[in-house]
Amino acid sequence: MTAPGVPVPAFERDLDRAALRRVVSDLAGRPAVWRPLVTIDAERRRFEQLWRDEHLDVWVISWMHGHDTGFHDHDVSQGAVAVVAGVILEERLVLGGPPVARRHEAGTTFDFDASHVHRMRQDSGGAAISIHAYSPPLWRMGTYAVGADGSLRRASISYAEELRPVDAAA
Amino acid sequence: MATIDVHQHLWPEPLLAALARRRREPRLLRRGDGWTLRMHGEGDWPVALADHDPELRLRALDAHGVDRAIVAPSVPLGIEALPADEAGPLIDAYHAGIAELPARFVGWAAIGLAEADPRALDELLDRGFAGACIAADALASPADYAVLEPVLAVLERRGAPLFVHPGPSPRTLAATHPAGAPPWWPAMTRYVASMNAAWHAFAVAGRPAHPRLRVCFAMLAGLAPLQRERLAARGGRSVADPLTFVDSSSYGPRAVDAVIRELGVDALVHGSDLPVVDGRDLALGEAVGAALRERNPARLLAPEMSEVPA
Repeated sequence: MTAPGVPVPAFERDLDRAALRRVVSDLAGRPAVWRPLVTIDAERRRFEQLWRDEHLDVWVISWMHGHDTGFHDHDVSQGAVAVVAGVILEERLVLGGPPVARRHEAGTTFDFDASHVHRMRQDSGGAAISIHAYSPPLWRMGTYAVGADGSLRRASISYAEELRPVDAAA
Repeated sequence: MATIDVHQHLWPEPLLAALARRRREPRLLRRGDGWTLRMHGEGDWPVALADHDPELRLRALDAHGVDRAIVAPSVPLGIEALPADEAGPLIDAYHAGIAELPARFVGWAAIGLAEADPRALDELLDRGFAGACIAADALASPADYAVLEPVLAVLERRGAPLFVHPGPSPRTLAATHPAGAPPWWPAMTRYVASMNAAWHAFAVAGRPAHPRLRVCFAMLAGLAPLQRERLAARGGRSVADPLTFVDSSSYGPRAVDAVIRELGVDALVHGSDLPVVDGRDLALGEAVGAALRERNPARLLAPEMSEVPA
């Protein structure tokens, strides 16, 4: 049961994927909670933190066409996403082959465990809006690039690089 | 958006003169060519006056890429914990000296603890002080919040932040330095314990009494945020909320990253503790740097502090 004014219920421990999916599904159905955090910016994805406690953080992400995360992982966090507007294309990294791609349209949810390496791209004409929940709260992430010799390179970054980027400091 | 260091110390000339005139701790003693600080409960410290030269400090700000430094009283000296007739002239000398510094320096107001004066704080905020700095030992138990309620109410009403810094209260001023202990002993024992007590006392009594007060705990609150699992095992709840901050003073990337994991990056602000320790690059990435040095201080401090000073 959610207390009045608190957008998500209190959890006593880290959430599993099913619980994370319930959190984003529930929030998706309460636009009064997330709509004030939507910021449309053609230049970049915009991130607003909707909730953070010791077990869970929840973000509202606003995307325009072509915005792309690049391949990344979430270190020890698992997550769930509800798409509430537009379309998000998710690609899961496959070694030696094309990524496994899935389209997530408005009204759908998906989840992933901490072992997943994926990228997400906005793939619709107008804006896309998605609600992301992570447990334990996002801390460090891995980003992936291909080196000159074709080898896969992982860089460990703070979640701030992704969700509190420098170019949004102003 | 200005790059801000929320935690530096600088003893302005009037304060140095007042400390040199004293015959009891805390005092400055001339030793040969140099000066020594003698204070309650700690060993003697050599003092390099160049560390408190505003012109040299401005160069240090440039070297560290800092637009504005918020200068705090050196609370461990125990000035604020002295009887009011002794504390008054020293505190006045500190405020007078800070007010004359170049515009890139802003002061945290010092609060005399024997007779905490909310009207004096109101006037200091009018004069441009950023907020009030209070000794952790004076906010280390729920009952302390009743004693200092009038001062904290001024901060809350004015939208000015509280800075909790390690240091004694009138009750703890008599602490002694253990025989054989190295000089860093108090900083690693009493200060850490005291910041932990202040963090938890704020959760229990400070936040409920002052729901809109912005607060910053120095030195990562003595790593108190990392005690959350131990707290939860005893039925306590964490203080973490959007108006509560910790500064990074004298810690490095490991401790700072651990606290980011617990509190999130939005709760940390850059505080160097210059000249006690040198400011260092945390090497946690540009985004963490920008959050700690620009965006988060802008949320802790009044809006005008985030404008780059001329």
